[in-house]
Amino acid sequence: MLAIDAREVEKTFRGGWMRRRQTPALRGVSLQVEPGAIVGLLGPNGAGKTTLLSILATLLLPDRGDVKVLGVDVCRNPTAVRRRINMASGNASFLWSLRPPEILAFYGRLYGVSGRDLRRRVDELIGTFELEAHRRTPYNELSTGLKQRLALAKSLLNDPALLFLDEPTLGLDPDVSVRIRRVIAELRRTRGMTIVLTTHYMREAEDLCDEIAFIKGGRILARGTADALKRQIRIGDIIAVRTDPPVPAMLADAQGVLRCVASDGWVECTVDAAEKRLPELLRTLHMEGVVVRGIEVREPDLEDVFVELAR
Amino acid sequence: MGTRNVFFMFELLFWPVVGVLTIGLMTRFLDVTQEQRSFVLIGQMAFSVVGTCQLDVAYAVLYDFWSKSMKHQFLAPIGVRHLTIGSWLVGMLRGSLVFALTGILAWWAFRFDPLAAGLPATLALLAGCFLTAWIVGVLVCTLIVLFGGRAETAAWASINLVLALAGIYYPVSVLPPPAAAVASGVPLTYFLDAYRAQFGFPAVYSNAIPTGLALAVLYVALSHLALVAAVRRARRTGQLLKMSE
Ligand SMILES: Nc1ncnc2c1ncn2[C@@H]1O[C@H](COP(=O)(O)OP(=O)(O)O)[C@@H](O)[C@H]1O
Ligand SMILES: [Mg+2]
Repeated sequence: MLAIDAREVEKTFRGGWMRRRQTPALRGVSLQVEPGAIVGLLGPNGAGKTTLLSILATLLLPDRGDVKVLGVDVCRNPTAVRRRINMASGNASFLWSLRPPEILAFYGRLYGVSGRDLRRRVDELIGTFELEAHRRTPYNELSTGLKQRLALAKSLLNDPALLFLDEPTLGLDPDVSVRIRRVIAELRRTRGMTIVLTTHYMREAEDLCDEIAFIKGGRILARGTADALKRQIRIGDIIAVRTDPPVPAMLADAQGVLRCVASDGWVECTVDAAEKRLPELLRTLHMEGVVVRGIEVREPDLEDVFVELAR
Repeated sequence: MGTRNVFFMFELLFWPVVGVLTIGLMTRFLDVTQEQRSFVLIGQMAFSVVGTCQLDVAYAVLYDFWSKSMKHQFLAPIGVRHLTIGSWLVGMLRGSLVFALTGILAWWAFRFDPLAAGLPATLALLAGCFLTAWIVGVLVCTLIVLFGGRAETAAWASINLVLALAGIYYPVSVLPPPAAAVASGVPLTYFLDAYRAQFGFPAVYSNAIPTGLALAVLYVALSHLALVAAVRRARRTGQLLKMSE
């Protein structure tokens, strides 16, 4: 059984006078997710990532399409779905005056945990997410990183089989983001949790996800492993050279060079095929008497793919 | 206990105490009979109880609206009724506390003994207050879920409509006929009437308590259905998400 089986999902938001203003957010999205996978929805702002996640999490009803989560139809039996999923978002917010253990206890009760079980679960989560020192700090006095950790802790209260994370590292310092990512990877490894996360950071998607779906304008444009995507979107290889003197114009004019970007004394050339163009480029440079100080050949990273797709 | 609880008690008791004191002192100034004094003090106490309990029911969504955390509770596997009944229970607790304390105050300062009507009559009045509070509170929740911040004033204003219609400070008979007709559709009117009859006021309605109960049950069901429909609509329009960001 698939953890998620969504087919041809459409959603248009209506607003303004007589609900005339329409914002199409999803235009026929299909997504299948295997149990135990970490899938990333990657796309620019307004792509429809949050909308899709909200529909999967039963917070929003789709206009059209079939959505089954853990084998259950989200429109027909949302309560059964809600028992086994949870969600945390980077811009989550809780009641300002409550302290972390109170927030966890409150939502724990909504999931039917109570008494000693509840106390144990709350203590466990406080420990896992290193909130011990902030037990008595009201929510609005927590730092962004701590708030995010609390939101994650809250999303594990019911030990969900499927976890949705909407921009889990939004606005965090790099070192804090790295720790959050480690926690997410750990969840899958130790609990076999299926995780669907949205992000607009390539690195996050590449580091964490088994599979990535590019979403833009309410459509999934491409989907696969990071490597498969790089191969699928044939945007060529990248040859970066540092020369003395710098000669970006000469490189840009060379045969087979699709694009050339100069930065920091390096010139990055996107070429159709490195194995063919590298010798040619070196020969040209040698003949013109340019000294090569450094050279690097690499595959395009996800960011290059993303830029290509988002065009 | 921390400062939070001090504020909590203050918020809970400030208006009810001020209300009973000002109304009681006014009756002293106007030199009314002890019966008339009882009449308005009963109204004032009932008003405080309904107001307190009503706000607690409305808090089922108001606090989540204010703190932009609405989606978390609608993500949990609970029904709308769990939220409203839960906060109603808290409201009844706080409402009973308000009734007890304003009752003691009214007895100490103005020689009005609310228990003189007997326990069953007092409990019937409280039941009427709590049912009214549920109805008003759930309707406020409905408006917030439908219209968000634009409906916030409804939370504070709605209770005053009950005050004007149910005859808190005067018998319904002094209302102009159209308003009196509306008042006869308000359950609290009947509960107040029945309770005041215990203090020697001629009852306006026969079978006041059964009528009040029947009306209340009808409105409880209707307001619950309205809130369920509003939440469903908010899931469709995305309002539920908007209230969380
Ligand atoms: N609750 C809502 N009401 C109206 N429009 C919305 C709502 N949520 C999102 N939208 C619109 O739908 C589109 C997709 O938004 P969203 O799913 O939030 O994108 P993303 O999460 O990828 O940045 C955007 O144009 C956004 O303005
Ligand atoms: Mg988003």
